[in-house]
Amino acid sequence: MDTLGLLNYAIFMGVLIGIYALLSLGLNVQWGYAGLFNAGVAGFFAVGAYLSALFTAPPVPDRIMGWELPTVVGWIAAMVAAALIAWPIGKVTLRFRSDYLAIATIGVAEIIRLVLRTEDLLSGGVRGITGIPRPFGDLPYEWSQLAYLALTWAMVVMIYWALERQLAAPWGRMMRAIRENEHAAAAMGKNVEARRLEAFILGAAIMGLAGAVYVHFMRAITPEAIDPMMVTFLVWIMLILGGSGNNRGAILGAVIIWVIWSSSELLTDRLPAEIATQAKYIRVFVIGLMLQLVLRWRPEGLLPEGTHVRRSS
Amino acid sequence: MSGLELINFYVIPGLISGSIYALGAIGITLIFGILRYAHFAHGDMATLGAYVALGLVGSLALSPWVALPIAMAITALVAVVLDRVFYRHLETRPKILTVMASLGVALMLRSVVQVVWGVDPQVYSTGIVRAESYGGLMLRSRELITFATATGLVLFLMAFLRYTRWGKAMRAMSDNPELARLCGVNNEAVTRLTWVIAGALAAAAGFFLGINTELNTMMGWSALLAMFAAAILGGVGRVEGAVVGGLVIGLVEELSVLVLPSQYKMATAFVILILILLVRPQGIFKGKVL
Amino acid sequence: MNPVLVMHQVRGGYGDADILHGVSLTVNPKEIVVIVGPNGAGKSTAMKAVFGLVKIRDGAILFEGEEITGWKPDAIVRRGISYVPQVKNVFAEMTVHENLEMGAFLAKSVKAEAFERIYTLFPDLKAKRNALAGSLSGGQRQMVAMGRALMLNPRLLLLDEPTAGLSPKYMEQIFRICRDVRDTGVAILLVEQHAKQALAFCDRGYVLATGSNRHEGTGQELLNDPEIAQMFLGG
Repeated sequence: MDTLGLLNYAIFMGVLIGIYALLSLGLNVQWGYAGLFNAGVAGFFAVGAYLSALFTAPPVPDRIMGWELPTVVGWIAAMVAAALIAWPIGKVTLRFRSDYLAIATIGVAEIIRLVLRTEDLLSGGVRGITGIPRPFGDLPYEWSQLAYLALTWAMVVMIYWALERQLAAPWGRMMRAIRENEHAAAAMGKNVEARRLEAFILGAAIMGLAGAVYVHFMRAITPEAIDPMMVTFLVWIMLILGGSGNNRGAILGAVIIWVIWSSSELLTDRLPAEIATQAKYIRVFVIGLMLQLVLRWRPEGLLPEGTHVRRSS
Repeated sequence: MSGLELINFYVIPGLISGSIYALGAIGITLIFGILRYAHFAHGDMATLGAYVALGLVGSLALSPWVALPIAMAITALVAVVLDRVFYRHLETRPKILTVMASLGVALMLRSVVQVVWGVDPQVYSTGIVRAESYGGLMLRSRELITFATATGLVLFLMAFLRYTRWGKAMRAMSDNPELARLCGVNNEAVTRLTWVIAGALAAAAGFFLGINTELNTMMGWSALLAMFAAAILGGVGRVEGAVVGGLVIGLVEELSVLVLPSQYKMATAFVILILILLVRPQGIFKGKVL
Repeated sequence: MNPVLVMHQVRGGYGDADILHGVSLTVNPKEIVVIVGPNGAGKSTAMKAVFGLVKIRDGAILFEGEEITGWKPDAIVRRGISYVPQVKNVFAEMTVHENLEMGAFLAKSVKAEAFERIYTLFPDLKAKRNALAGSLSGGQRQMVAMGRALMLNPRLLLLDEPTAGLSPKYMEQIFRICRDVRDTGVAILLVEQHAKQALAFCDRGYVLATGSNRHEGTGQELLNDPEIAQMFLGG
C-alpha cells in the first residue's frame, strides 16, 4: 500500500475508532453508571444513522423524507430518534431485572433491522440511501478526510467531557449511590427507576449520534452495512476490556479492540480464499473467547474505576 | 378460507414451530428458574445440536432420526462443559455478568458451526417430501414425528420432575435454594442435571427446526427471542408454561401472516413479550418475576 | 444425664465483626430451651452457629459429646440436628407432602411411618397434604416447616422465631406442638421474640444481650425475675 493509501486507511481507522468510542461511552452510561445490559446497541446505532441520513440526503421517489437539511440537524434528529425508541422500552422493562431489558433490546434491534430491510419506503431498499452530505465535503479529498477525523474526535471529546461533568454533578453522585446500594437509595426516596430510565435514554442518544457520525462519513448506507450482532458485541467487549464504569476505559477499549479487530481482518484477507472465509469466523470465535477471558481474569477491565463497578442484582 | 385450509396452512405449521419453541423454552425456563439468569446461548446451542446431527448423518450415514438422540446426548455433554468452563466462575458475582458471558458463548458456538460446516444452508436429506392426507389434514411424516417426539419428551420431563427424587430436587432448588441446601440437596449435581436436560432439549429443538425447514447457522439465534418470549409468557420457571407459551407463540406467528406482511412474523414474538411484561409479568402459570 | 448440646464460650459472626462474644448454653435431652433477648442480642446468630451457618473464631460446640464446631450444615443434618429458619422455610410451590419428602431427601428410603409420625403431630396437615405449601395460612406453614425438619428423626431441633407473625391461637398451637415433639424425645432449642409466652412454656431459658449471656434459669425463674421483666418483657 502506498503512502496515500496508508494515510487514507489510517484516517478511516481513526474515524471508526472514534465512532466506536462514542458507542462505548453511550454504553458506559447504561452499563457502567446504571448497570443496564443493552444487548441491542446496533439497533440504536442504526436508528441514528438512518434518521440522520433521511433528514439530510436529497429526496428520492418511493422513499420518505430526504429533506436536505444541514448535517447538524441530522445529528440532533439521530439523537432524538434513538432516545424516543429507548424511552418505551425502558419504561416497560426497567421495573424488572436487567435480564428482561437485555431480552427486550435484542428484540428491538431485530425489529429495527427487519423494518429497515423490509420497508423500502423508509430505508430506500437495497440501494439504501446515498448522497448524504459530508461536513467539509467541499475540501480536497485528503483534507476532507482529515477534517472529518478531527470532527469525529471533537465529538468524542465533547461527549466525554459532558459525561465526566455529569458524573461529578449531583446526578452522577446519585447514580453512584443507586449503584452501590439500591435498597438504601430507594429507602431514601430516590426514584431509582426514573434515574435508570434517564441513563438508558441518554446512552441511547449517544449511540444514535455515533450512527449519525458514521453515516455522514460513509456518505451512504444500506441495510447490509451493519452486522448487528458484531457491532453490539464489539462495543461490549470494548467496554468490558477497557473498564466498565470508566469513560476513559471506554475509549481505551475502543482503540484496543478495533485495532485488534481490523488488523486481524487485514491478516485474514491475505489468506488464500478457501480458508479466508473460515478465518473470518475464527476471528469472531477469538473475540468471543476474549470476553470470557476478561470476565474471568480481569472483570474490572484495564482501567478500573475507583469505586465498585457493578450494581448488585 | 375454509376451516381445513386454515388448519393446514396456518395451524399445523404453527403447532410445529410452537413445539420447537417449546422445547427451547423449557431449557430456558429451567435455567431461569434454577440458575436464575437468562441464557443467551440457548439458540446457538440448538444450532449446534442440529449441526452435530447433520455431521452424524453425513459421516456415519445414519438416518437423521437415529442421529437425533446421539446429537442430544452430545449437546447435553457440551452444555455441562460450557457451564463448567464459562459460567461457573461467575456464580458469586451479579447474574448479569453470566448473561453477558452467555452472549459471548453464543457467538463462539455459532462461529464453531460456521467454521466446521460453512454458512450455506444445508438439509438432512434431499428430495421433496409430499404431505399425506389424514381425513383432510395434510401432514408430512416428519411433522408427525416432530409433534409426537416433542410431546413425548415433554411428558417424560414432566413425569421426571413430578415423581422422581432428582426431579423434586430440581423443583426444590428452583423454589427455595437455601432451604434445598438445608435439606441436603447437592447444588452442583442439580446444576449439572439442569444443563443436561437443557442441552438435550435444545438439540432436539434445533434438529426439528432443521428437519422441517433447513439448516442455517443463524437459525438458533433467530429463534431465541421467540423461545424467551415463550418462557416468560408461560411463567418463568414453569415447564408447562414454556410448553403452552411456545405453542401460543408458534400459532400467533403463523396466524399473524393473515394480518401482517409475512416478513414481520418474527416481530410477533417481541410484541407478545412486551405485552406480557406490561399486563402480567408472572406469565400464564404464575412463574417468578425476576 | 449427658447434655445433647453444649455451646462453650462461642465467639464469632458473619463477616469480620463478631456478633457473639463468648456465648455458652446447654440443652439436655427432652428439654425445651429458649433464647430470648432484646433486638440485636445475637439470639438467631447463636442458634445459627450451632447449625454451621456462622464463622466461629473461638469456643466450642458439642453435640452428644462430639465436637461439631466448624462443620458444614449438611454434615450437621446427617449428625442429627435439624434447623427451621424464620423466613422462607417451606417450598411454597410444592405440596405439603412433597415438603415432607424433601425433609427426608437425605434418607435412602422413606418409610410411611415417618410421614405418619408427622401427620399425627400435625393433624391439620394430613387434611391438606396435597395443598401447595404457599397457599396455607401462616400457622399451617410453620407446621409444614417443622414437619419437614422432623422427617429424619433429629435429636435436636432448632427453631428460629417460630411464632413470628402468628396469631395468639397459632402461637399456642406451636408451643403445644413443641411440647409434643419434646415428649417424643427430641430436644428443642428455640429463639423467641415473644419472651413472656416463650418463657412460660419452656423448661429452661437463656437471656442474651449484645452477644453475651446475661441470665439463665428455668422458665419460671426468669419470668419472676424483676430485672428481666424491666429489661424487655413489656409484651
